[in-house]
Formats: sequence, C-alpha cells, structure tokens
Amino acid sequence: MDSTVNIESNHINIKSFVDERIKTFELVLSELEAMSKKSKDYFVKTLTKDNRIDNALLENYQFESHGFAWFETYRIGLRETFNWLIRLKDSNKAAEIDYNILLYSFAEYVSQMRDGIMISQTEIVRLSDIGITKNDFKFADEPNVNELISFGLSNELKKDIVNSLENGIFPNLGLNDETLEMIQDQFRKFTEEEIIPYANEWHLKDDLIPDQTLEKMAELGVFSIAIPENYGGLGMGKIAMCVVTEELSRGFLAAGSLGTRAEIAGELIRLGGTEEQKKKYLPEIASGNILTTAVFTEPNTGSDLGSLATRATLNGSDYTITGNKTWITHGARSDLMTVLARTDLDKKGYKGLSMFLVEKPRGNCENPFPMDGMSGSEIEVLGYRGMKEYEIALDDIKVSKKQLLGEEEGNGFKQLMETFESARIQTAARAVGVAQNALELALQYAKDRSQFGKQIIKFPRIFNKLAWMVMEITVSRQITLFSAREKDNDVRCDIEAGMAKLLAARVAWSSADSALQIHGGNGYALEYPVSRVLCDSRILNIFEGAAEIQAQIVAKGLIAR
Amino acid sequence: MKALVCVKRVIDYNVKIRVKSDKTGVETDNVKMSMNPFDEIAVEEAVRLKENGLVSEIVILSIGQDSSQETIRTGLAMGADRGILVKVDDILLEPLGVGKIIKEVCEKENPEMIIMGKQAIDDDCNQTGQIVATLTNYPQATFASELKKNEDGTLNVTREVDGGLETIKVKIPCVVTTDLRLNEPRYASLPNIMKAKQKKIETIESKDLNLDISPRLEVLEVNDPPERKAGIKVPDVSNLVEKLKNEAKVI
Repeated sequence: MDSTVNIESNHINIKSFVDERIKTFELVLSELEAMSKKSKDYFVKTLTKDNRIDNALLENYQFESHGFAWFETYRIGLRETFNWLIRLKDSNKAAEIDYNILLYSFAEYVSQMRDGIMISQTEIVRLSDIGITKNDFKFADEPNVNELISFGLSNELKKDIVNSLENGIFPNLGLNDETLEMIQDQFRKFTEEEIIPYANEWHLKDDLIPDQTLEKMAELGVFSIAIPENYGGLGMGKIAMCVVTEELSRGFLAAGSLGTRAEIAGELIRLGGTEEQKKKYLPEIASGNILTTAVFTEPNTGSDLGSLATRATLNGSDYTITGNKTWITHGARSDLMTVLARTDLDKKGYKGLSMFLVEKPRGNCENPFPMDGMSGSEIEVLGYRGMKEYEIALDDIKVSKKQLLGEEEGNGFKQLMETFESARIQTAARAVGVAQNALELALQYAKDRSQFGKQIIKFPRIFNKLAWMVMEITVSRQITLFSAREKDNDVRCDIEAGMAKLLAARVAWSSADSALQIHGGNGYALEYPVSRVLCDSRILNIFEGAAEIQAQIVAKGLIAR
Repeated sequence: MKALVCVKRVIDYNVKIRVKSDKTGVETDNVKMSMNPFDEIAVEEAVRLKENGLVSEIVILSIGQDSSQETIRTGLAMGADRGILVKVDDILLEPLGVGKIIKEVCEKENPEMIIMGKQAIDDDCNQTGQIVATLTNYPQATFASELKKNEDGTLNVTREVDGGLETIKVKIPCVVTTDLRLNEPRYASLPNIMKAKQKKIETIESKDLNLDISPRLEVLEVNDPPERKAGIKVPDVSNLVEKLKNEAKVI
C-alpha cells in the first residue's frame, strides 16, 4: 500500500524516481530479451520441417507468428526509448516529460505484452500464442518492477505529461546533433508557413500540391537528401530524411510523401542503375527537375509481386511494354516512371521481372497522360491527396534497351527489394509526422473546448488519450530513428525498419482516431483539419506493405535470423 | 561593403513563457531557443544585399554562452560568411554591455554596416543599436523598413514612424536596426545548412576584452502578466457606456 500512497500524493520527483531505478529498467529489458529468445525457439521448433521453415506451417501459425513480430516490435521500441532517455540524460537535455514518457511506455507496453497485444482492432495476441507462459512474467510482480508499472500507469503521471504538453513542452526528439536540429527547425517553419495553412483546402478540393510549393521544396533540397554528392545530391542519409519527412508530414501527408517518390526512384537508380543512368537521372531527380512515379502495382497484383503480368518484349533495340497498372501515385504530374514488368515469360514468380526507366511527358489534371500508348484515369480516394492516384494502361509503349535498369534483365525484384529498407523507414517517419499532427490538433481543441464548466483537457478520459498518443508517438519515433541510424551505419535493418513502419502506422491511425474523438461532432465536420488527418492516417497501415504483410516480413525475418 | 550582423539567442517566439517559481526570471531549461526574429530580418537583409553585389562579406556576431554558436550557425546557413562568438558566462548582460562589446568587435572588423534587430523579443529593450551608434559615433538608422544603397556609397533608409514613412540618408559606416516589414527571412536550405558546417566561428572570451560589462540594473522580481478575467454581457448601450466610463475608465 505504501507505494500507492506515494503515487497519489504525487510528490515524487520523476527524475530521481527514474534515475534510482535505471537498473530496474535494464532488468525488464533483459527479461524481455530472454522471453524473446524463448518465443523464437518455440517458433523455430514449431515451424521447422526438414530442417527449414515450412511455409505451410508458417501460414497455419500466421496469427501467432505475427503476434511474435508485434511482441518484438514492442520490445525493440522500449529498448530504443530507454536508450533515447539515457542519451538525453548524458547530454543534460532530459526534461520531466521525457522521464514521464519513458516510465509510461514501459508500464503500458510491458502490461500489454503480459496481458495481450492488440495487433489490430479485432485481434489480440496473448502470451500462450507465442510460446511464453505467465510464469515468464513473474518478474513483473516483483516489488520494484510492480512499483514501476503502477506508477507508470497512474493518472497522476499522465496528467503530468499532459501538463507539459499544455505548456508547449513536447518530448525531445533525441536528434542530439546541431545540424539535424537546425534542419528540423527550418522544416518546421516551412511547414507552419507554407503547408499547414493550405493543407485542408488542397485536401477538400482534391487539388495537386501547387507547383510553386513543389519548387520551394526543391529549393530547400527535399529531393536531393538521399542522392550522393557526386550525382548532384546531398548524400545526407536516412536520419536527415526522417527529420524532413516527419516535419513535412506533420503538415500534410502528401508533402512528406513527395520525397518518397524521389527516394524510391533515386535508390533504384543509385543501387541498380548503370553509370550512364545514374549520371543522367540522379542530378535531375535531386534538383526536382524530374518528378518520378513508381509503377509497380497491378489490379491483380498488390503484395504478391510474383504474379505480376505486365510484360516487356525486346524487339531489336527497343522493348515494348504492355499491361495495366494501378495505384500510381503522382502519375500525371511526373516525368519518369519506374516500371516493373516481366521480361521472361517462361520464368514464374519473382524471376523474370525487370525494372524500366520510362520517360513520359508531364500531364495535368485535364490531360493526365499526353503520351501515345498510355492512358489512365484518376482513382478518387478518402485521403492521401495532393498527388492524385491513377490507374493506367500501357499499350505497346516503346522503350530503348538503354532504359532497362542496370541494362540486365531479371533483376527487377531484387532491385526493388533493395529499396524497401529505406522506403519503410521513410514511411515510418511519415506516420510519426501524421500522428504528431493529430496530437497537436487534439491538444489545441482539448484546451480550447469547455464543457461542464471546464476545459475538456482536465477530464481524465481526455488527458489519458493525449498522454497515450504522445507516449506511443515517442516510441514510434525512436524505433524509426534507430532503424535510420542503423541504415546510415550500413547495418542491415530490414526487420527493424519493418517494425518501425508496423508500429508507427498503427499509432498514426489510433492517434487520429482519438484526436477526432476529442473533437466530438466537430471532428466529423470536413472543415476541421482532424477529419483530414483521419483519412490520411488510414493509408499508412496499407501502403508500403500492409500491416499484415509487414508483420509477416518481420516475423519471417526474426524466425530466420 | 562589409556587414556585421548582430544576433541574439532568445526563447523561441512560439514557446509559452513560464516564470521561475522564485520570480528571479523565466524558465530556460529545456526550452526551445531561436534567433531573435528581428535579427533574422537583419541577416536576411544582409544576405540579399550580398546577393545583389552590394555587400562583400557578412560576419555574424553573437554574445552569449557556447549555445549561441547554434544561433550563429543559423545565420551562416542563411548565407552569412563567418561568425564571431563573444563568450560571456553567468552575467546578465544589458544593452550597454552589449554595445561596448560590439564596439570592440567593430574596431577589429571595421564593418561599414552594423545591422541588427530593432529589439530582442525577450527583454524588449530597443537600445542596443542606438548605444552602438553612440559609442562608435556612427550615424544610426533605426526601424528600417526599406534599405537602398546609393551610388555615392550612402544608404537610403526608410523608417516606420508614427506619421507614416520617413526616408533618411546615412553615410557609412552606420548602424541600422530592422523593423518587421523590411523583408521575410528565408528558410535555410539543406545544401546551405551543410555548407554552414564548414564556415568558421571565431570565439573571443569577453574577459579578454577588459570591458566593464557588469549590470547597472537590479531585477527585483519577475511576474506573470495578470490572467485575463472573464467577460460579461451588458444589456444595452447605455450600460456599456456607463461601464466603460466608470469601471474600465477608458472613456
């Protein structure tokens, strides 16, 4: 009972409370790591047939193995949130809210790991599903851990978190680098002044982001971040990419996603292109002169790229490409398509796929595809507007042999896979930005709105939601930045990048949903930006690997690693 | 023409200011700091003059602790050439002290234009430019809303005054302080942020300058502004007039 009394009196100095319990946090992390090993062993044993992971068995255990992916996502999320606070402490930058968030994240996530993780709104994975027993969680009942959890879940702590937010104090991003902080600062300003005032109008009118805004972004260097210096780019790496992406997405998802187009094409060409292709296209992509669009998905081929049907046939020195493609983002206002097509009809699955760099004249809304052999129509969508989505048909379009990426057939899938790490990290950063947007809108509304004689932010059901949002946003951001750091250090991080995307996308949706709930009926009105954020956030669980595919990739990677 | 731009590191204008519980000042721990917005306008103006070939070199000067390097770096990322940090530790600087330091730096650097914000948004003194002009005996053009360089090297400065706009001609070297409408500062682009990393910032210890920069003022107490009271509804105009006269005492 003693600890309860302490907690409710709320005279605990959070900094010393956490500082004195660093060992307890470390203990929790090492217990979770041991459990993770146990769970992995369980899956390896259960899913192995003839000395290898059996795909049919894996499918039978899809829910359970995805549950393991989520368990690990939580564990790595907590580890990186802990590391974030330690780094802040070391540089004397940790504020009260940072300590509170660390404590809350441990309390909440460890409880969920023990009692059930909601992997979607209709699926909860429990310990027994992933080969762990209640007994493995005995450490959580020990007094020091139990105290940490009960304080971490207390209303008082959540109230403190939201108090800080009310005073304009948000958790430290943990960039710990003067240049990155300056980048963040400049892009926040840009977003505040050039994106946020217009985003809702662009969304409601289903407009393209104006050319002038695109030009300003190009001038700021948005499209050149990932492109190497010797090809006209800045060669800045993934952390810088995350910082820019989060800030732009905080204003409008499509703004943060413009960079993704350049990133995908840039990475494809950088990693898979010939020297000539690199010299020709990379500087133009970096400067924003060439806008690119990814042409991979087909009406019957989404996540299962192996069944891709668009074909490219070589006749003399040209290929002719024929097929239907869909979900072509920014399809009209772009100059270069990266088209995935089958060059070898005899080879099924991923083999026989090749990537083409297909130039096209830039279209507009009235005449989206002014090119012979190419036609298409807009797909109207709930959110993620500003670039427009298209379904297109390619009918015998001619492409020179020189436009085959790497000038070698059959590498298309491999080339695309190489870009996935970056794309996932970048998408996670987009999700964090959208979630942050939701949080800030909800916070403002909860402060401004009074009911029953007080600001609604003072009601526990409201401030609880805000505290939850900022806590989960922080965990998502830290796991995203962790993958980015690994990528910058050339460490393979496909699994962590997948985890970052998996978690951040869920957090974006739940944050947007809670933010709208806080707005009540007003949130349902189109004129309130939160209604747009809800629509925008929904796509994050779908594109760049739907949540189920993402969990599958993470699970498979973990079990095979 | 060489420009010296003086910039101050202040609490970011978006931050909700909190008074310390002991009323000795405002909270600055873990608070976002930025360049004083008026100084940002000064940097922008210098950079535009340089882009138009009217300024040959831009030096950014800031006075403060090590952290003020970040503020200088922002100016460098906007397009200035190099920086000078005069380090002071634990002294509450007042405009007079700042003016003396700037004068010292001017003697070393010999700028033809010293440009800075008309005031800093933290203490709102609106004194530094004027004091520098006095100490250096240079002409001053304060509250500039437009700046033009004449062929004879003088500057035409348009000032926002109560009655409208006033244009004065000043000889260089001179001191210019910037008003809000002079320009809209640019965002530092990623390439320029990267370039700024290579630019030099020289550090000078203020104690090596042998100046008396000790404070002349004593801060007795810092308080929050009074909280806004809830409004009331009045039944009619005569009631409103009565309240404006007798309660609010504004008419």
